[in-house]
Amino acid sequence: MLFGAASTGKRVFTTSSSPGISLMQEAISYMAGAQLPVVIVNIMRGGPGLGGILPAQSDYFQSTKGGGHGDYRLLVLAPSSIQEAVDLMMLSFHLADKYRNPVMMIGDGMIGQMMEPVEFPDKYEEPELPPKTWAATGAKGRPAHIIKSLFLDPIALDKNSWILHEKYERMKKEEIRFELYNHSPKNEIMLIAYGTMARICQTAIDALKQEGISIGLFRPITLFPFPEKQIYKEATKENIRELLVVEMSTAQMFEDVERAVYGKKKVNFFGRTGGIVPPPEEVMEHVKMLLNKKSKDKKKA
Amino acid sequence: MSVDNKVIRFQSPVFSKDIIIIVGSYGSGKSEVAVNLARFFVSHFPPSEKPVAIADLDVVNPYFRSREAASVLEELGIRAINPKGGQFYADIPIILPEIKGAIEHNEGILILDAGGDDVGAKVLSSLNNAFIPDTYELLLVLNANRPFTSDMEGCLKMIKNIETASRLKVTGIISNTHLMENTTPEIIIKGLKLSKAVSKKTKLPLSFLSATTQDLKKIALNAIDIPVLPLNRLLLKPWEKKD
Amino acid sequence: MEQDTKTIFSRPEALRDTVTHYCPGCTHGITHRIVAEVLDSLGVREKTLGVAPVGCSVFIYNYIDTDFLEAPHGRAPALATGFKRLRPDMVVFTYQGDGDLASIGMAEIIHAANRGEKITVIFINNAIYGMTGGQMAPTTISGQVTTTCPFGRDIAQTGYPIRMVELLSALGTPMYLERVTVNSPQQIIKTKRAIKKAFQYQLEGRCFSLVEVLSTCPTNWGLIPLEATKWLEDNMIPNYPLGCFKTPDDAESNHGTV
Repeated sequence: MLFGAASTGKRVFTTSSSPGISLMQEAISYMAGAQLPVVIVNIMRGGPGLGGILPAQSDYFQSTKGGGHGDYRLLVLAPSSIQEAVDLMMLSFHLADKYRNPVMMIGDGMIGQMMEPVEFPDKYEEPELPPKTWAATGAKGRPAHIIKSLFLDPIALDKNSWILHEKYERMKKEEIRFELYNHSPKNEIMLIAYGTMARICQTAIDALKQEGISIGLFRPITLFPFPEKQIYKEATKENIRELLVVEMSTAQMFEDVERAVYGKKKVNFFGRTGGIVPPPEEVMEHVKMLLNKKSKDKKKA
Repeated sequence: MSVDNKVIRFQSPVFSKDIIIIVGSYGSGKSEVAVNLARFFVSHFPPSEKPVAIADLDVVNPYFRSREAASVLEELGIRAINPKGGQFYADIPIILPEIKGAIEHNEGILILDAGGDDVGAKVLSSLNNAFIPDTYELLLVLNANRPFTSDMEGCLKMIKNIETASRLKVTGIISNTHLMENTTPEIIIKGLKLSKAVSKKTKLPLSFLSATTQDLKKIALNAIDIPVLPLNRLLLKPWEKKD
Repeated sequence: MEQDTKTIFSRPEALRDTVTHYCPGCTHGITHRIVAEVLDSLGVREKTLGVAPVGCSVFIYNYIDTDFLEAPHGRAPALATGFKRLRPDMVVFTYQGDGDLASIGMAEIIHAANRGEKITVIFINNAIYGMTGGQMAPTTISGQVTTTCPFGRDIAQTGYPIRMVELLSALGTPMYLERVTVNSPQQIIKTKRAIKKAFQYQLEGRCFSLVEVLSTCPTNWGLIPLEATKWLEDNMIPNYPLGCFKTPDDAESNHGTV
């Protein structure tokens, strides 16, 4: 339905939660192939299979690596508060149109269910976009428009795949978004987390500060494009000794962080799944473990 | 002495009909035989005398069809009747109207390359009224290394099924037993034996034996006592080098 | 003399001037032409959207000259729904085969019909999967030989052929359902009338409309075109009775309570 609706040239979106999104993957692949701008929201629950209905971040790979069949990517945004969800939602529609590509916003059950005061702008200001000359509006006074992902001629399909690839490369240049929290040259450890998990990490960081321990947080807002270079830059600073990736999944984003850091620093992982949202205390405990281990290492040396 | 000179000592096949239909099991080597047959004809008859055409009737499988060799064949002056443009790759049964025309108004040599098994031969049935009895040869490509034609029983069943599906009669057998690059002289001779037995049992003539020029080089000259079509492989996988 | 010459037959404007890829004797061509003629006669070509299926008619957008979407397999009614809901002023039709509509697309078609989407579905039933090489379809008739039922469809194992218009006519939602065929000039005229009516119901915003066209597949049936027509008459029509099964006017009397 989203495919048909988007073909009119109007702004359209759909929402679902993990298993429902899996069902949509076929059509998402078709829409990416046909270059249709749509917005999809996935409020992630625990998986695989029916899994459970509580908050999780277990669809990281599915969202950021394509999800359906074929050579494509989604532009993936991950808000960590309701206000940010509001702001990113407006941006999502703009980015979908800008790139003629499906945009996915992923949150967990926490983001999906909770109430928070938010502010809506009176008017959403956005840069001007080219007119949707590709839309199906009736072949009046122009050749018929055919919106499709079928290119049987391998040369045509190869061309389409590289057009898509160029868009993804352009996203990497123009759309990377992230946030640094408690950025300081005193920090020895850098946390990396997104969405609800990042918010919990912030609380942990604040609490650790009370105890005289300073650590920082790198929070990717765009998961695709992934802020690889930015993470590399922060992680390779001299004061940073180790990284700790915290997820509500089993080391999915961890793989992207490891790739970004390129073996320059040790990347550790802590995560819970199944709907268990790790409290700040657990994060703090892990940070302390890393710090203790390091001081022991130091003593040994 | 060049390879060709050595191979040429085998006897060439002879055909009495101008329409040659190639059938056989999946992966028996039908298309490779068909395109090489087209090349054989064009080297024996100047195009002005007997133009050679080849039509691909494989609606079953979009891979490894004779249409893949179209550009090579066309360079040799062979008319390749295939869907054009994007539909060339279509996983769609496209029986061009030209094919029926080519059968009915054949003025040279026409080779029809059907799809595999009785399933592929069914297409011939939809063209049934275009064929005039005794004007065509329906040759079964027999590869004894294919599971359903590895023994007498299987071959007889294959012939029967193809005849039922196509509503045409098989008129001859091509012995094309091979194991791709692992072919040995023993494999070729084993296949020839089975082909001869099937030929004897069915009273269908053994039209010729086909094998690659490299494999033929390895075979004792007196081991093959029937006509031979040397194959130069045209339908290559992307990692295979041209001869 | 010149003023006495007038064109009485020409290519419909909605049909592109091109050669189709269909096999000799395939009835897709006739049905394409009927659809094009109807779009012309209603004067709606310029505000029509077609939705192409997966199947032999996947390339219909190369033949019918309107805007088109190419749907995932069986999902044409979903695309048509999404489009029509946002552009109720446009004319939206899907063109689907029996493999596409009655197998993988069964859920889509039933719900689109039941929601009463104001779309028109042209349903081509040739009792076989044509594009993929002649496999058994849900519509394959009992005893019919296909590549996946080489001994004939066994109803004990695979059930009876699904009669789509009968199935849909059980729904309470008002709709227009008719089964036609294109085996003779007379039937072609009837088909055109039915397809025109289907589009008219849509234009009037009245109801979902579906016309099932019994069609031939000479290549996969393994028959020459004339034999295929005969096979359709002898085997398909007795299994799939022709006629109008439902109109929006008789919906209530069909279903009793609503």
